[in-house]
Amino acid sequence: MSSGRSITRSFSSLLGSAMFRYIVRRLLYMIPVFLGISIISFFVMYAAGDPLSIIRIGKPDITQETIESLKIYYGLDKPVPIQYLNWLTNLLQGNFGKSLRGGRPVNLLIGSWAWETVKLQLISILLAFAISIPIGINSAKKQYSKQDVAVTSISLFGVSMPTFWLGIILIIIFSYQLGLLPSAGSRGAPYLWWDNPILDQIAHLIMPVAVLVYVMLAQNIRLIRANMLEILRSDYVLAARASGLSERKVIYKYALRNAIGPVITYLGISLGMIIAGAPMTEYVFSWPGLGRRYVTAAMELDFPVVMGITMIITMMTLIANLMIDIAYVYIDPRIRLR
Amino acid sequence: MTENILNIEGLKTYFFTEAGIVKAVDDISFNLKKNESLGLVGESGSGKTVTALSVLRIVPKPGKIIDGKVEFNGDDLLEKTEKEMQKMRGSEIAIIFQDPSSSLNPVYNVETQLRDVILAHQTVPKAETRKKVIELLEVVGIPEAETRMREYPHQFSGGMKQRVAIARALACEPTLLFADEPTTNLDVTIQAQVLNLLNDLKKKFNMSLVMITHDMGIIAEMTTRIVVLYAGRVCEIAKTHDLFERPRHPYTEALLAAVPRLDMKKTLRIIPGNIPNLIEPPSGCRFHPRCKHAKNTCKEKIPVLEEIEPEHFVACHEWQNISLKGERKH
Ligand SMILES: Nc1ncnc2c1ncn2[C@@H]1O[C@H](COP(=O)(O)OP(=O)(O)OP(=O)(O)O)[C@@H](O)[C@H]1O
Ligand code: SF4
Ligand SMILES: [Mg+2]
Repeated sequence: MSSGRSITRSFSSLLGSAMFRYIVRRLLYMIPVFLGISIISFFVMYAAGDPLSIIRIGKPDITQETIESLKIYYGLDKPVPIQYLNWLTNLLQGNFGKSLRGGRPVNLLIGSWAWETVKLQLISILLAFAISIPIGINSAKKQYSKQDVAVTSISLFGVSMPTFWLGIILIIIFSYQLGLLPSAGSRGAPYLWWDNPILDQIAHLIMPVAVLVYVMLAQNIRLIRANMLEILRSDYVLAARASGLSERKVIYKYALRNAIGPVITYLGISLGMIIAGAPMTEYVFSWPGLGRRYVTAAMELDFPVVMGITMIITMMTLIANLMIDIAYVYIDPRIRLR
Repeated sequence: MTENILNIEGLKTYFFTEAGIVKAVDDISFNLKKNESLGLVGESGSGKTVTALSVLRIVPKPGKIIDGKVEFNGDDLLEKTEKEMQKMRGSEIAIIFQDPSSSLNPVYNVETQLRDVILAHQTVPKAETRKKVIELLEVVGIPEAETRMREYPHQFSGGMKQRVAIARALACEPTLLFADEPTTNLDVTIQAQVLNLLNDLKKKFNMSLVMITHDMGIIAEMTTRIVVLYAGRVCEIAKTHDLFERPRHPYTEALLAAVPRLDMKKTLRIIPGNIPNLIEPPSGCRFHPRCKHAKNTCKEKIPVLEEIEPEHFVACHEWQNISLKGERKH
């Protein structure tokens, strides 16, 4: 009884809170962004070429009649603005249309691809943070030490190394030469040491995660190190030391929270790319995620699939950015909700 | 003889920078009696802050204490382990910094920052630390302490922030307090309030105080004895009254002449010449390039600090041959 009342009370205080109003406002702002992006991508794409012409390459003897009937089937005979409105109407009912290559519903395809991408990216991001924070801090604490110089140069290497190349090197060494890891896909037949479903998934994750982590790691470490260096020189860190706080508390409580903000901001800025699935990495490892399918669908001029993935990525990016902005408010109290 | 709470002897703290070795504190000696208010004055860069940081042993990199003794109640702090030092910081010796906006952590509220200091030195239950935090904030004159302790530093005015910083310094009732230009960044009206507060708290908590400033007006009000620093060395040590009326070091005279005095409508005069480079400081007496009384010996020999009358020390080759002008204390 009393707990029920307190839940009602905390719910109504949530509704009235600045944070709730902020989230609602941000969600409303997403509508025009979403529409704008869909219009631009739709028109740019449909101006780019005739998606059915490509069929002729595979089947040179296909008749003009068949092509015309396919056009009508997919609604490609109508003017582009009408096609857009049809597409949008369907989308509002949760229907992304059918793939031009095989006719399967886009919804079905994207669902599993998105899951594979989110799984890969989430693991990589978390791992990248878990590794880069202590390394960045240590590097800053021992500025110009051998360890610091090593970390700084390796991470410079990481920033400038093409992921494509790194992925291929890993496949050559670990799959073809040593035969230790599977080279493609997100799961497969039991084999060698990955002979149960869980180990199988892990084995497939190792190399793509390694590549993604390595790329993010470099950037993260550089950011954390640079921020930490500045913060370790600040008066509030000196004051914390002067108050007799332990070195661990000074670094991991008083300094770190200030250093993490810019890293989160950076994550926000690069989220679009991350969610797009770092297409190169997915491509190299034949990862069945959004990124690789995005590339394939674009090359096959499979417009409904390309549009579907574009909209999913847009939405994920917008929502992830909102989540990051909210996290930021909790990390830095000076940030006001506007 | 009164007991000394602090006894600094031959302290040297250098910064090993890429440009060279900055001799920020170079053979400084002075002491502090129990319950005394001592002034540490000198131009910007003379080594006041570095001296205080050296006592706490928190000199930032690339700085290092390379020689000397810092006796606190008879124990040499430079001999202590880092762990032992950590226990003394905040609980026995505390410091208030110049700029409260940068010395308070922007991302934690006031309660957290004060509580962490208390918990670093005492094991007390949570409810009790909260009571202690409220008490502390009330002692330093922050109204509605109970609600304000949940606020963040940026929600306080400059004067209030400095009060919070003072509360943090006093959290564990230290016996020795360094106040490093605690009012330089505050409005004039607020300055007086904060100085009064410091004076009251010093009595209330029975503290010994080292007041660091380059404002001779503040030093006259707040202290009973003064140590004058120039370019990392001590020039003169004397009772406040003596120093103002009968300075014996040419640099002290110049400092006094630079004091802006409202009653005399005198504008701030800056001491002629440049602050010396501490990587290659002037030979002999470091003040000689700017000193009107400099003789040849001044360039060659380092003057030693000598007691020329009871409790009045001077480091100058020429003190017997020159007569200097003081300031009559109102
Ligand atoms: N981190 C550092 N690296 C290099 N040199 C430093 C560092 N900190 C201080 N110094 C040098 O030490 C000298 C003394 O500095 P200190 O801060 O003690 O001066 P101060 O008397 O407190 O001056 P102010 O009135 O400006 O606060 C200065 O010449 C300064 O350049
Ligand atoms: S020792 Fe010489 S140069 Fe130094 S203050 Fe005295 S008179 Fe001036
Ligand atoms: Mg200073």
